[in-house]
Amino acid sequence: MIDPKHYDQARDRIALAGFTPEIQTKIALLLTTTKNGNLIFHSGVQWMRNLNVVQQFILSQYSRELEAVTLLSRTTQWSRDPGLAMEGSRILAPLVMAWGQIMMPPGPMLNPQAAYRGISLGHAQLARIRLAPVIPESADPLDPFVVALQRIEQENGRMLQTQIRLLKSMGADVPIDEREAQVEADQKLVDGVFNDFLQWLAAP
Amino acid sequence: MPFIQLEPSQVHYQLEGEPGRPVITFLNGLTQNANLWKSYADYFVPRGYRVLAYDMLGQGRSSKPIIDIKLTAHADLLAQLLTRLEIEATHLVSISFGGIIALDFAIRHGTRLRSLTVMSTFAELTPQLEFLGTVMLRGLAEVGMPYLQSMLYPMNMSSAWIAANRERIPAMMRAGYIGNDGYAMQNLMESFVEFKPLTPDLHRITAPTLIMNGEFDFFTPRECHELIRREVANSRLLIVQHAYHAFTLELPAVTMRQLEVFITQVDDGSWQGDRSVWVAADDPAADVQWLPCASDWMRAVQPGTPEPAKRAPARKAPSRKKAQ
Repeated sequence: MIDPKHYDQARDRIALAGFTPEIQTKIALLLTTTKNGNLIFHSGVQWMRNLNVVQQFILSQYSRELEAVTLLSRTTQWSRDPGLAMEGSRILAPLVMAWGQIMMPPGPMLNPQAAYRGISLGHAQLARIRLAPVIPESADPLDPFVVALQRIEQENGRMLQTQIRLLKSMGADVPIDEREAQVEADQKLVDGVFNDFLQWLAAP
Repeated sequence: MPFIQLEPSQVHYQLEGEPGRPVITFLNGLTQNANLWKSYADYFVPRGYRVLAYDMLGQGRSSKPIIDIKLTAHADLLAQLLTRLEIEATHLVSISFGGIIALDFAIRHGTRLRSLTVMSTFAELTPQLEFLGTVMLRGLAEVGMPYLQSMLYPMNMSSAWIAANRERIPAMMRAGYIGNDGYAMQNLMESFVEFKPLTPDLHRITAPTLIMNGEFDFFTPRECHELIRREVANSRLLIVQHAYHAFTLELPAVTMRQLEVFITQVDDGSWQGDRSVWVAADDPAADVQWLPCASDWMRAVQPGTPEPAKRAPARKAPSRKKAQ
């Protein structure tokens, strides 16, 4: 569970300072790191055997994550402070490590458990990392960075539909309780990272 | 608020009031959570009750199953929760989605009820509800959670409430967006695919049952509540004047007072479940709270008896005389 006060503090900070290059960089680091993890995973499983119609969904998810990363990278006013990248890496390390475990040889294409874990972690990221609530009401709705955030958030909702379908249809040989437990564990992992991130975002 | 682990789910709950007192358990509707019953706890605890509220599966801080969830799981979970909290029997108060769960609980775990209150709810999907549910699910899945939230405000609240709270609504929507997960909401709504009408089993409900319906609730209109009234012998239907679907939020003082009247009647043995229909007083301080319903409660208008047609005065035959 994300503590609502962290959203409030981050939004208040942005309302006060505006979308500075530092703030934009923090947000872009979070989103590009998580989305890169998910898109590399999707590129890794798109040639799994017996995917049938699911292959098209996986290719579609891959493309949409790629679009989001590209859109954000182009609209962000990047800070030149390397300290931000270092601190961002520290906060995001649990997710980077989780994606690393999933992609570890033989890789999700040949490891159904890792494939299911990847779908579950991708779902948790799309479901729990929500940035629309940190956009202050005073923000210019036509600001390119704000537009990009809104579009990405909206698209995340649609991508989530595919992740839900994949979670429901894949891994049928694993008992439901085990699958639910995996999904819940990944949500807790993402919540922990996102709580830390929001506090970082709120910090001056 | 503490958590309790009920395999395989974690449940976030709040229990206030001293042990040994009669317990009132509250069940919320979709997109709501246990915190919304806080004012009800503040009202009933000083009046000698113990109040239990919890986030139902898929909502608030409780577990949010994603792959599958059966509607019956909610009532079974409530039974488990009561057992773990050593509550033998409870007054159960519920609204909307929670009302369906409460009806299911009353049918299958009825011995654990002191009384049942169902508000703004239904026992089966009428054709209107089926369409509405499909539209809501499509909106959630294809457009997103903010769309569903925007849709629910006018379906739940009156124009007067919306006008009075217009400034606060963006912040309320943001809080709802943070607190609710679209995928969990979708899973709850999709569980209705397997929903079997509860109507054939409603006659098994023997607990004293109060059915409450907002006068202007167009989301779950009178026909939904009338069906429950007809099937539950030990029931009364109480219509809340000027109210829409979410009157627990819009008219909390009126709702609390009506619940107090009902629960007191049950506890002191004066309750009479006779399928009669009543109208709740507008004023929670009024001496008489339940007014008899003097007209057809199923109708929105009461057509009067037509007056006998008056005969028009005979007209003079038009004069052929030309005007001078």
